[in-house]
Amino acid sequence: MHESEEGRPPVFKSWNTWYWLVLGLFVLQVIIYYFITSAFL
Amino acid sequence: MSSIDWIILFGTLLTIVAYGAWKTRGSKTIEGYLKGDNTMKWWMIGVSIMATQASAITFLSTPGQAIEDGMRFIQIYFGLPVAMVILSVTLVPIYYRLKVYTAYEYLESRFDLKTRTLAAFYFLILRGLSAGITLFAPAIILSAILDWSLYFTTVLIGVLVIIYVTTGGTRAVSLTQRYQMTVIMTGMLAAGFIAYSLIPDHVSFGDTVALAGELGKFNLVNVEFNLNDRYNIWSGLIGGTFLSLAYFGTDQSQVARYLGGRSLAESRMGLMFNGLLKIPMQFIILFIGVMVFVFFQFHKPPVYYNHNLIERARDVAPEAIAELEASYDVLYEEKAATVEKLVQGIQQEDVGTVSAAKSGYFEIAEKERNIRNGVKEVIADAIPGAKTQDQDFIFLNFVVNNLPRGVVGLLLAVMFSAAMSSMASELNALASTTTVDLYKRSIRKEASPGHYVLASRLFTVMWALFAMLFAILASFAENLIQFVNIVGSLFYGTLLGIFVTAFYLKWVRGTAVFIAAIIAEVLVFYCHYFTDIAFLWYIFVGCFSVIVGSIVIQALKIKN
Repeated sequence: MHESEEGRPPVFKSWNTWYWLVLGLFVLQVIIYYFITSAFL
Repeated sequence: MSSIDWIILFGTLLTIVAYGAWKTRGSKTIEGYLKGDNTMKWWMIGVSIMATQASAITFLSTPGQAIEDGMRFIQIYFGLPVAMVILSVTLVPIYYRLKVYTAYEYLESRFDLKTRTLAAFYFLILRGLSAGITLFAPAIILSAILDWSLYFTTVLIGVLVIIYVTTGGTRAVSLTQRYQMTVIMTGMLAAGFIAYSLIPDHVSFGDTVALAGELGKFNLVNVEFNLNDRYNIWSGLIGGTFLSLAYFGTDQSQVARYLGGRSLAESRMGLMFNGLLKIPMQFIILFIGVMVFVFFQFHKPPVYYNHNLIERARDVAPEAIAELEASYDVLYEEKAATVEKLVQGIQQEDVGTVSAAKSGYFEIAEKERNIRNGVKEVIADAIPGAKTQDQDFIFLNFVVNNLPRGVVGLLLAVMFSAAMSSMASELNALASTTTVDLYKRSIRKEASPGHYVLASRLFTVMWALFAMLFAILASFAENLIQFVNIVGSLFYGTLLGIFVTAFYLKWVRGTAVFIAAIIAEVLVFYCHYFTDIAFLWYIFVGCFSVIVGSIVIQALKIKN
C-alpha cells in the first residue's frame, strides 16, 4: 500500500518506525519484568 | 459510607451521563449515530479501546489477583502489542478502504451475504451473553458491598448506560469513556498511594518492594513452557496474540472504536496507543494490588472478604465462625511478628534472617489458608448454593474499610464507570450489528436515515434489557459465570478463521468458508463437551478448522 493511501503517521516518516517502537518497547518491558522476577527467585 | 461519598459517587456518575447525553444529542444519520461522523482523534480512539476492554471486573478482580497470586497475570497481555501491529498493517486499511460500518460487512464484499450473516450471528451470541456478564459481575459485588439489592444495582447501571448510548450513539460512548477513564485512573492511583501511606513509617518504599518480592509477588515472567499453566510467557505470547487478533480485529465492540476515527492514520495511532499503554496500565493495577497486599501484612485483614455473606452465615452457625475467627486472630499475631523479622532482615541485609523469616511466613500462610477454607466450608454449609470465592471482594473491602471519606465514593465511582464504559461499547456494537448486518441488509433494505437511527436506538434498548435480564437471572445459575467466560473462546476462533481466510486465501469462495465455519463451530463445541482440552485452545481449534476446512472444500469444488 502506498503511503498516500495509508495517511502519513505523526512524528515519524514511516509507519514501520511506529511498529518497531511498539514492539521494541514491549520487548524492553518483558526484559525488565524478567530481571525483576529473577531478582527475587 | 458518609454523605460526602454518596455525593461524589452519584455526582460523578450523573454528571458524566448527563454531559455525554447533552453533548452528543441529535444524531440524525446512521453515519453520525454509528460512526460518530468520523470525528475521533487518535488519543480518543486509544482511550476508548482501553476503556472498552477494561470492565469493572478488571478493576475489582486484578488487585485481588495480585494479592493472592502475585503479578504473573500480566503475561496474558503479552500478545496484545503484537496483535496491534498486525491489525494496523492488515485489517484496518481494508475496513477503511471499504468504508464499512461493521467488521462483518467486509465479509460480504469478500465472500457473500450468508457468510456475513453467519459471522454477525456468532458475534451477537457471544457479545450478547458477555454484555450480561459485564453487568452481572460488578453488580453482584457492588450489591454485596453497598447492601443494595442485585436488581437495583443492575437496573441502575443499565438505565444510566441506556440514557447516553441511545442519545448519542458511538460519539456518546467515546466522549463518556474519556471522563470515565480519567475517574478510573485517578481513583486507582489514589487507592495505591493511600495503601502505601498507611504502611508503617519504619518501612520505606524500598523495603515495601523488597518485602513483596520476598513473599513471591513479583512473579511477572515465567519462561517455563507448560500447557497446564495458564500464565506463562508462551501462552501469553501465542494464545494472547490469537485472542487479541480475534478480539480487536473481529469483535465489533472494538472495531467500532477505531472505525470512528477521522482517518486511517488516526485509527492506526489509536491501536499503537493501546499497544504502548495497555501492559503498563495492567502493571500499575497489579502493583496497586501488591501495595494492598503489603498493607494487609501490617493491618489485620478480615478472615473472609465478603462481609455480607459471612454475616449471613454467622446467623446460622455462630459458634463455628467464632471458633475459626479466634484461631485466625492468634495466627495473625504470629504472622505480624514474622513480617517484622522479615523487614528487619531486609533492612539489615541479613540473608539468614530473611530466609528463616520467609520459611516461617509461608508456614503461617498455609495455616491461614486452611482457616480461610474452613470459613468457606462453613458458609457453603450454612447457605446452600452460596458462591464462596471471595478474591474479587478483597480490593473493595480494603477500599470501604480503610480509605478516607470521599475517596471511598470516588473508588465506587471507578467501579460503576468501568462497568458502564464497557457495557456502552457492547450495546453500541450489538445495536449496530443488528441494524446494519441483519435489519438493514436482510429485513428492511430501503428506509430513511431517521428510520435506521430509530431502529439502532430501539436495538440498543432491546440488548440492554436482554443484558439486565441475564444479569438478574444469572444469580440463580451457579456455573453461569464460568460458562460465559468460555463463550468468547467458543466463537472467537471461528470468527478469526473466517477473517484470516478472507485475507490470505484469495482463491477460497463464500460457500466453502461458510460450510467450514459451521463445521469448525461444531468441532469447537465437540471439544468443549466431549474432551478435556482447556478452553483457551478452542481459539486455535476454531481458527485452523475454518482455514483447513475452507481449503479442502474449495479444492474439492474446483476439482469437481
